[in-house]
Formats: sequence, structure tokens, C-alpha cells
Amino acid sequence: MVKSGFLLEREARLIEESMPGLGWCADPNGKFVYVSPKTLDYVGRPAANLDRIEGTDDCGWRQVVHTDDYDRLVATWLHSLQTGEPYESEHRMRRFDGTYRWFRNAAMPSRDDHGRVVGWYGTMIDIEEQKQAEAALRDSEREFSQLVDMVPGHLWRLAPDGEPIFFNKRMVDFLGLDVADTGKSGMSRLEAVIETVVHPDDAAEFSDALSHCLLTGEGFDMRYRLRRADGVYRWMSSRAEPMRDQDGRIVHWYGLCHDIDDQMHAEDALRRSERQLQQMIDAVPVSIWCLTPEGTPSYFNKRVMDQIGSTVDDLTASDRSVFLASVHPDDRPTVQPALTHSLETGEPFALKYRQRRGRAPYRWTEGRAEALRDEDGRIVRWYGICLDIDDVVMAQQALREREYQLTQLADIVPALVGRLTSDGEPSYFNKRLIDYFGLDVADSDRPGTSRLAATIGAVVHPDDAAALTERLNRSLTTGESFSLRYRLRRYDGVYRWMRGRAEPMRNCDGEIVQWYGLCLDIEDEIRTQEALRGAQDKLARATQAANLSELSASIAHEVNQPLAAIVATCHACRRWLSGDPPNLERAIITLERIIRDANSASEVAGRIRALFSQINKARSEVDITEVITEVCRLMADELAKKNIQVETDFDRSLPQVLIDPNQIEQVLINLIRNAIDALDTIVDGARLIRLRAVLDGDSAMRVEVRDVGPGMKEPERIFEPFFTTKENGMGMGLSICRSIIESHDGRLWAISNQPTGTIVAFTLPIQARDAA
Amino acid sequence: MNSENFIVFIVDDDARMREALSDLLESLGWRAVALGSAGEYMSYPRPDLPACLILDVELPDINGLDFQKQISHGDHPPIVFLTGHGDISSSVRAIKDGAVDFLTKPFTEGDLVEAIQSAVERDRAVRQERAEFETLRGRLASLTPREREVLPLVVSGLLNKQAAAELGISEVTLQIHRSKIMQKMEAASLADLVRIAEKLQIPITHSRRAGST
Repeated sequence: MVKSGFLLEREARLIEESMPGLGWCADPNGKFVYVSPKTLDYVGRPAANLDRIEGTDDCGWRQVVHTDDYDRLVATWLHSLQTGEPYESEHRMRRFDGTYRWFRNAAMPSRDDHGRVVGWYGTMIDIEEQKQAEAALRDSEREFSQLVDMVPGHLWRLAPDGEPIFFNKRMVDFLGLDVADTGKSGMSRLEAVIETVVHPDDAAEFSDALSHCLLTGEGFDMRYRLRRADGVYRWMSSRAEPMRDQDGRIVHWYGLCHDIDDQMHAEDALRRSERQLQQMIDAVPVSIWCLTPEGTPSYFNKRVMDQIGSTVDDLTASDRSVFLASVHPDDRPTVQPALTHSLETGEPFALKYRQRRGRAPYRWTEGRAEALRDEDGRIVRWYGICLDIDDVVMAQQALREREYQLTQLADIVPALVGRLTSDGEPSYFNKRLIDYFGLDVADSDRPGTSRLAATIGAVVHPDDAAALTERLNRSLTTGESFSLRYRLRRYDGVYRWMRGRAEPMRNCDGEIVQWYGLCLDIEDEIRTQEALRGAQDKLARATQAANLSELSASIAHEVNQPLAAIVATCHACRRWLSGDPPNLERAIITLERIIRDANSASEVAGRIRALFSQINKARSEVDITEVITEVCRLMADELAKKNIQVETDFDRSLPQVLIDPNQIEQVLINLIRNAIDALDTIVDGARLIRLRAVLDGDSAMRVEVRDVGPGMKEPERIFEPFFTTKENGMGMGLSICRSIIESHDGRLWAISNQPTGTIVAFTLPIQARDAA
Repeated sequence: MNSENFIVFIVDDDARMREALSDLLESLGWRAVALGSAGEYMSYPRPDLPACLILDVELPDINGLDFQKQISHGDHPPIVFLTGHGDISSSVRAIKDGAVDFLTKPFTEGDLVEAIQSAVERDRAVRQERAEFETLRGRLASLTPREREVLPLVVSGLLNKQAAAELGISEVTLQIHRSKIMQKMEAASLADLVRIAEKLQIPITHSRRAGST
């Protein structure tokens, strides 16, 4: 223990003991020479020595110093012992009750006149309270710092002159640089920061705004783009406020940057989406409108305004008067109650009415509205659209008119028109058909029978039903056109002949969709045809008769004329001769005229014969059977009417023959007519005409016309001119026939058929083959 | 019959018939003109003589019966038809329309002569009547307008007094007119004047009965 030169040990001890610290003294080796009793009290007077253990760096205080502090403490102590520098440390020291408290331990070396350390004097001051306050402060600071760093925003601080002083961690992370990194030569740090991180487009504005704030002290508020470390600019919303001291001077600027990029984009997107929606709403060719639940118009798209030509204010008049005024007066009484009804009941509104744009003509519009309801089912708003359907309505109207016209046409067309389904079920009758039948499509329906069968059963003549069914089924199966003549029953039970035709209507795939049928009433036509055939027949006969009578009259005239002249001249001659004296000269002249005229009369007969032989030029090589067949065809109606059957029997080996086909046809017609007339007397029994064409020897063919009529007594006489067995006949026909055949170098004759009737036959020579 | 005082027209397209007929008529001493068609006949200048037209039914330019109709309103001679083949209906039609006869070829001389004579006689009578009518018309034309007014009243049988009253003239004046009329019209008596007036188709406009006009 070293004593102070000025104080008594006791005094020193008193001083030391009255101080709030704990005092100690140690020798230059670190061995305690004095430890105050308070210290010893504090540590609970440990048994072991607190001194430095000789020969080691270990100390006895290990017992009382906190383990965590011990090594540091020893190291500091040893350092001071070796260097003589003042010793100072803070450490925890165990109290007698086992709790640790912080102490500041400080010691100064005491030196002798040579400057050698002679001892150490130290005190320990309880700094537990202070330590705790410091720790609390540190915690608070850390928290604050963490807060600053954790806050989801960029915080910064500027000096009053605007130089950046602090960026929080987020900002540093964001920018990729700290305040210190921003220095650039030749410009202030603020300018450097602005140049580096603020978007060039925003930099000027930012700079101006900030300068303004720094100058005036007003708060800073701006949106700008800030460059992120990766070079991407992001929108920031930035605010800064100045912090002032007690004198009101600005000490700092505290600023906050909030990343609003996502929000900006979202807003942008929203705006875009809104704009698009608006554009869409305005662009769609539909008028869109909203009503409040009470029915007050609240919104209209542009089209409505264009269309109605009013402003929103006009349109949103609560009584809907402007809207109603644009509606056609005739439609208002329908539209208004319907709209009111919907508003009252919440039922959707849907109506077609005429509406006009300004003074333009009214156009058909389809209005629809539905209520939007909230979760409770209350109507929040009415959304409605108006669609211009004028063209559609017009088209529909045109279509309806067209349909009406077509129906009219189908009804008015003077024919019975019907439609069948693809499987033949009647599906439509036109009015004429309904009137004709006295029943409509479905009227003849009967359970268990198809409609087609029922209809056929009801209206088709029983004799025609089978044929019609068969033909119709064939058409339905094959798709062939249907065409048939049959009788249809009229409402009054009268059957009339119809010509029915049906054609399939096919879809684009070629499948039959429907059949359209047409029935033409041909009853009158058939009657007329029959009458006409009768008339034709009569005419043909009359013509024939006329031809023959004309022929005979001509012959008579030709013969008569010279004869009349002869007679008159004879009378004159007699006069000349009976005169006194007789005029012989004139008489001779008259006689010469008589001779002349008599000769001319005899020439007439020769000319008649020549009439039939002069036409040789028209001859051609033909097949006689074809001529006969043609004649049969020509006379088919006549034969059928008289219920006469014709049998033909042709030798197929017949060669062609050189004839005038027209003349031979005339002969055949004549012969067949005679045969028909001969059969007139047959009431019962076969009415049959047999036509044969066979070879007659080597050089001729023979054609026979056989009838089974009563026959003739004098077959050869029939060829004499003016011989006739008929009341109206001239008796020239067969005579002419014979002339024709003879002019063909053939023969025409008649013999009695056995057992009854007549065979009239003619031959025609066959040209020798080798002569050709 | 004198050959000078009538003429026979023959229209037939058959030259032989024309020759034969001309010959026959000439042998009878008659004057005949033979023509080949209706057209030739129409353009032939006819002398002012009684005449007869022998017409063939079958003419080249027109049917004889139709031609008869065509000329029926003109101053044409009576017609005798000739035909090659007479049918009853045509002959009836021809006779109804004023033909004298309808002869079928060949015809006898007697039939023809008879027909021609009767036709000429008929023409002669017609012509005479027509000449007389023309004379009377000439006399009527010589009357003064007043006399032409008096004539109908006189022939109606009105008394002189009545007729004068009707015209507003004196009875004496009327009597003068009346005697002038008798003289000019060469009427032997009132009855003669009435007959003349009838021929001239002067209408009887008044009745003597009082009260009627």
C-alpha cells in the first residue's frame, strides 16, 4: 500500500469511503494493495484473494466479474500494466446476492519522480442505471432504425440546403446506392442524385419543385419516376416536410417516397379499361342507358344522344319525357305503361317500338331493360339497351308481305297446290285445293292410318288409287318427278280428271326436304279433247268427202264445159242450116268447133288418170311396216273410240319398197276406214281389224286389211267409180285407191273373208336387188 | 224481135262457151257481146238499149252470185245465170236476188231463148217506166215554188178554200195556181194529177177532214 504524501491514510480512506464509488489500489504488478470495504461488502467478501495470480495472467476477480467480460477486462488490465496507460473498462460485477451490475472501472497509474509506475489507484462506479438506460436507448434506436428501414417506403433526409444526408435501407436497396455514393465532381450531391435516379422526363420538374420548397419551406409533394438499381424506372409518390428548430429554422428535410408504380399501372390499366369500356359502350351499335330504380334516366351512351339528338340533361329529366317524345305517337301508349310496369314490378322490359332521331323518320327499335339487384334483392339500377331493328323489321315485313303474296299466289294460282313431307305426308293444301276437297290437310286424319293413305282413300278415285299410290311411292323412294293423270273427288262427290305433278325440293346436301305437288284440273280439257277428236274425225271425213266431191265436181266441170259448148254450138249449127238460104259457111265453122270441143272432152278422162300417175317423183325406199305402223298410230284415237282392236302380222324379212309413202298411207287410211265402217254393224263380238304384210312371190309384197264385218256381195264392183254401199259416199275412194296402187304397178282387190267380212289386199312390186 | 233494139252481154271465162253462145245468138239474129270476166263487163261501154246479161256463176275474178249483188243497185240489165253444176241453194239465192233464170250447162236452145227474151222484156219495161218517170220529173221541175207548194195540198184532196187558207192566199189565186199546175203537169184530170203525184212520190200531207192537219 503506498501512502499519499498529503493525506493521511485514514483521511484518504475516509474520503474514499465517503465517495459514491468503490475504491481500490494495486501495485505495479496488479496486485491489490487496497480494496475498499464497500467493494468487499458489495462482492460479499469472497474467501479467495482477488489479486492477480502470480506467474499467470489469471486474476482472482474471476470470481466476481461476469464471465463474458472477464477476458476483455484482463486483457485491458494487463495492457495497462504493461504500458502504463490509464485503465478503463466497463464490466459487470457480481453482487453478494448473485446479481450482476455494471460498473465503470477506471484507474490511473501513480508514478514516482522517475516516471516509474509505483501503483495503481482505481475506482469503480456503479453504472447499472446508466447501462440500462443506454441499452433501452439502443433498443429504441435499433427499433427506430429498423422502423425506418422496414417502413414500406423510401425515407430520406436532406440538409436545409437540399443535400441528401440519409437514405433508408429500402431506398438504398432500391437505388442501389447510398447517400455517400452519389457524390459527383462538379455538381452538388443533390444535382448528382437527381441526375442519377430521377427519370429524365421528370428531373426538371423535380428539381424546380424541390428548389421551390427549399426556398419557401413549403412541403414537397410530387409524383415522379425513380430509377431502380436494375435501371427500371418506377413511379413514386414523394412528400417532404421540413423539420425546424425552436427558432423556426429549418434543420432537416424529411422525405418519404412511396412506390406507386403498381398502383399507377393499375390505375392506368383501369383508366384504359374504363376508356375501352366507354369506347365500347359508345361504339357498339346499340343505345345503352341506365335508370335509377325510380326510373329516372341516369346515364346514356353517346349513341343515344346522337340518336335522340338531346343532351344528357334533357335525357335525364326525371319524367322520361324526352325519351318518350322520341317514340312514335302510336307506340307511346304501349311503351309508357310497359316501362312503368317493369319499374313497379322489376320484371324485365322488352318491347319493339318506333323511335326517331331528331326530325329523321321513325325507325323500329327494340328496347330491353333488366334490373340490377343488390344482395338483398333490391333494385340498384336499370340497365337498358335500344337496338335499331328497322332493317330487320322492314325485312321481316317484306318477308311477311312476300309470304303473303306467295300464299296468295299459291291460293290464287288456278291450280291445286299441295306439299308433302319427304315421306309423303301431306303438309299443306292451298285454298283452291281445300275448297276443292272441302277439307284441309288434317281433316282426313284417321288413327292407325298414315295421313297420305287416309287422304288418298278420301279423295282419289278408287280405280286410280292403286296406280297413284304405286307411282307416288316410287317417286318418294327414288326422288323421280311424279306425273300422273287421275281422278280426284270434289267436295260435292264429283270426280274430276287431274293431271298431277310433283317435284322434290332438296336441301343443299341434295336430300329431299319436301315435295311440291300441283294438280291441274284437266276434266274440261279431256272433255274438250274428246269433243275435239270427234270434231277432228268429222272434219277429216268432211275433208275426205270434200276432196272427193271436189274431185268429182272438178271432173264433172271439166267434162261438162266442153259438152255444154258442144250443145250450144250444135243449136247454132242447126240454125245456120235451117235458114233460108242455109248459111253453110257458118255451119261448117260451127261443126269444126264441135269436133274440137268433143276431143277436148275426151282428154279430160285421160287427165284424171294422169293425176294419180304424175306424182312418181315423191317415191322413196321405205319399210312398208313402218308405214302401216304410222297409219295405225294416226288412227289410234279413231280405233279406240270405236273400241276396235288392230292386230298386225308383219313378215320381218320384208325388203324395203319404192313407193310414195303419202299415197300408200292414204290408201291404207281409206281401207282401214272402210273396215271400221264395216265393223260398225257388229254389236257384240270381236271388233277386230287384222293388218298383214307378207311376201307375195319373189317380186312383190302383199298388204292385207281384213275385217270381220258383214262382208260384200260383189267384192269387185266396189272399185267401180261412183259405186258405193254408204249413204254419204261418193263411191270414188276405192276407185282412187286402185288408181294409186296401179300407178305403183301393183294390184288392189277384195275378196270375202271367211267366215265373215272382207279382205282388201294390194301388192307392191319389189325392186330386184341386183338392179340397184 | 228486132236485132237492133236489144243487146245480149255474155260473161263466161270459158272461151269455147263464149264462142258457142255468140254463135247461137248470132244465128238467131241477135246482137251479142261476149266478155271473159266481170271486170271486162264493167269496163265495157253499154249502149242505151234494152239488154240482158248472161252470167257464168264460176267467173275467174268473182263468184257470179256475189257479182250480182254488187251490181244490184246500179243500172244493169236483168241476169240469166249459167252454171256447170247447179245446186238448189245457189239458184234460189240468185232468183231471190232478181235473176231471171238459172240455167245448168248444158242447156237447150229453147230454155236459153226463153230466158233471154223474158229478161229483155223485163228490161224494156223497166226502161220505159224509168223514161216516163224522168218526163214527169221534168214537168215537176217546171213548176214555180208556189205551185210546188200548192200541188201537195191539191192532190191531198183539200178544197180550194181549205188549200187557200192553208197557204194564206185567196181562193182565186189558188185556182190560178191549180190550173197552171194541171197544165204544166199535162194532167187530164185531178185523178190524173193524183196518179202523177203518186209516181213522183209527192207525199199526201193533208186530209180534207176538218180538225186534222
